Amino acid sequence: MAASETSRYLARSLPRTLVPSSRHQALCWRRNASDQASSKAPSADLSDLESTSSLTTTASQDVIKSFQPIERSRARKTQLPRSRYQFRSPKYDRGPLHPHRPPPPSDPSSRLYVPGPFSLPRVEQTYQSTVASDILTLLYVHNPPGFKPPVKAPRLRSWDDSSPYHKNRPLRGPRGGDVLRLLRHPITFNNIPKLERITLHSYVKQAAWEHSGWLHVAGMAIQAISNVRVETFKSKTSVAQWHISPGRDTVAVKAELRGENMHHFFGKLVDLVMPRIKDWEGIKGSSGDSSGNITFGLESEDMALFPEIEVNYDMYPPKMIPGCHITLHTSATTDKDARMLLSALGVPFHGKLVN
Amino acid sequence: MRPLSPVLASLANVFRIPISQTPTRPAITRITNEALKSSSPTTAAAISSARTFSTTNALLKRKEANKGNQKITLIRYFLYHPLTPRPLRFSRTRYLRHWTIHRAWNLYQANQRRKNELELQRQWQAMQSACEELRVGAGDGGKLFRKSMIKTGVFKDLFPIEYGRLQTEGPSAEGWNHEWKRS
Repeated sequence: MAASETSRYLARSLPRTLVPSSRHQALCWRRNASDQASSKAPSADLSDLESTSSLTTTASQDVIKSFQPIERSRARKTQLPRSRYQFRSPKYDRGPLHPHRPPPPSDPSSRLYVPGPFSLPRVEQTYQSTVASDILTLLYVHNPPGFKPPVKAPRLRSWDDSSPYHKNRPLRGPRGGDVLRLLRHPITFNNIPKLERITLHSYVKQAAWEHSGWLHVAGMAIQAISNVRVETFKSKTSVAQWHISPGRDTVAVKAELRGENMHHFFGKLVDLVMPRIKDWEGIKGSSGDSSGNITFGLESEDMALFPEIEVNYDMYPPKMIPGCHITLHTSATTDKDARMLLSALGVPFHGKLVN
Repeated sequence: MRPLSPVLASLANVFRIPISQTPTRPAITRITNEALKSSSPTTAAAISSARTFSTTNALLKRKEANKGNQKITLIRYFLYHPLTPRPLRFSRTRYLRHWTIHRAWNLYQANQRRKNELELQRQWQAMQSACEELRVGAGDGGKLFRKSMIKTGVFKDLFPIEYGRLQTEGPSAEGWNHEWKRS
């Protein structure tokens, strides 16, 4: 093809420019009496440069003479692998007993290898430099040396042996319901809450009873704002009004953001989108799953405020940009800690805060 | 083999995909044209017959009716793009170079992380010793210490919204552009 040939020609012609010419290209130090003093005199910048090249060798002649790569490679009993790397990672990991397993994802020959990170996001820098230590200070509780917290009753209660049927039963669940909530350890320097991942999820009901274009547009929009390839999901529940039946209709797209992608997305959300949402007071204080993950929703008009969609608004068919649910997963184990972290990073909350 | 469109050829060149192995994919102009033709077969014949006499793109002559469909077609085209880069393959020396840089970068990151953790630990221990001093050595029977440990409303008031501002290179001297008008 023409396009690939040009690159081959380019590769062939490039070294030609790098060939040392016969003309001596050192600095010209000689100055005639007729010249201006400033024209030929070496400037201050040039005098800083070393006069010798760093490419000249300092090895002695006998070392150079004794360097025989071809002889050495012939003397080897087993040859090294070929220089041109031939390894192809297997597509599937068949378990620890399989002789041929894919390399770890940090290996560039792996199929999962993603280069990067290529930037240091502002959210991460802010968190490192200010937010972490401020949360640490705000939530510090002093215990005098030698202090031992009183022992709490076990969360899973044992049965009183009033009945012979209690023997060998599993322990009773906690008081006030069967949910065993996460434990909250006091916040110290090693468990300051931080952002772990962000999930974008969009349920497009029209994808079931209209055409699949709704799902494709939603996937494209989510991909554009998140920089992550989306996954699609089928409905698990049946919704009679929308003609959705479980396991048949693909109705949702999801993207999971981690690391650099997550920080950039969060920065855009806090800096650009949230201040411009009309009549929005903040995330509802009752939001959260009581284990440190806060969810809120964006309408389709608000999705259009993301800069990636805003600059290319005409690419999407009118009225087909989806809304989405955004879940901010934090490493906090309670909602109040998660809210503390998010408010320090600039997310507003409104209403009664429910934990 | 049918030649690829120049866009695809250049993409294949960038990603180093041998074009002979690439499954043939219709060019973008043909996709959109066919989508239009299938939607209205009566006018499509007229367009194709008139096309030889006109320099106008066939797409430009379309009515507004198919705009939405056309956008969806384009989105589908780019959403399911088969040209993905193959895994990197390095020669031995280049692989070693990559490995060295990778290990050095991991080491650097681990050092940074450790430095941050140690800094937080140092701050926490400084707070602890200061509070202990306040509790025992201030000479007021620990009254100041008890005042300082009151945490009422910490989880209710949260951080003020003015605090939650991502760091920038520096605050602007003005702070607000008073001359700005919606244009």
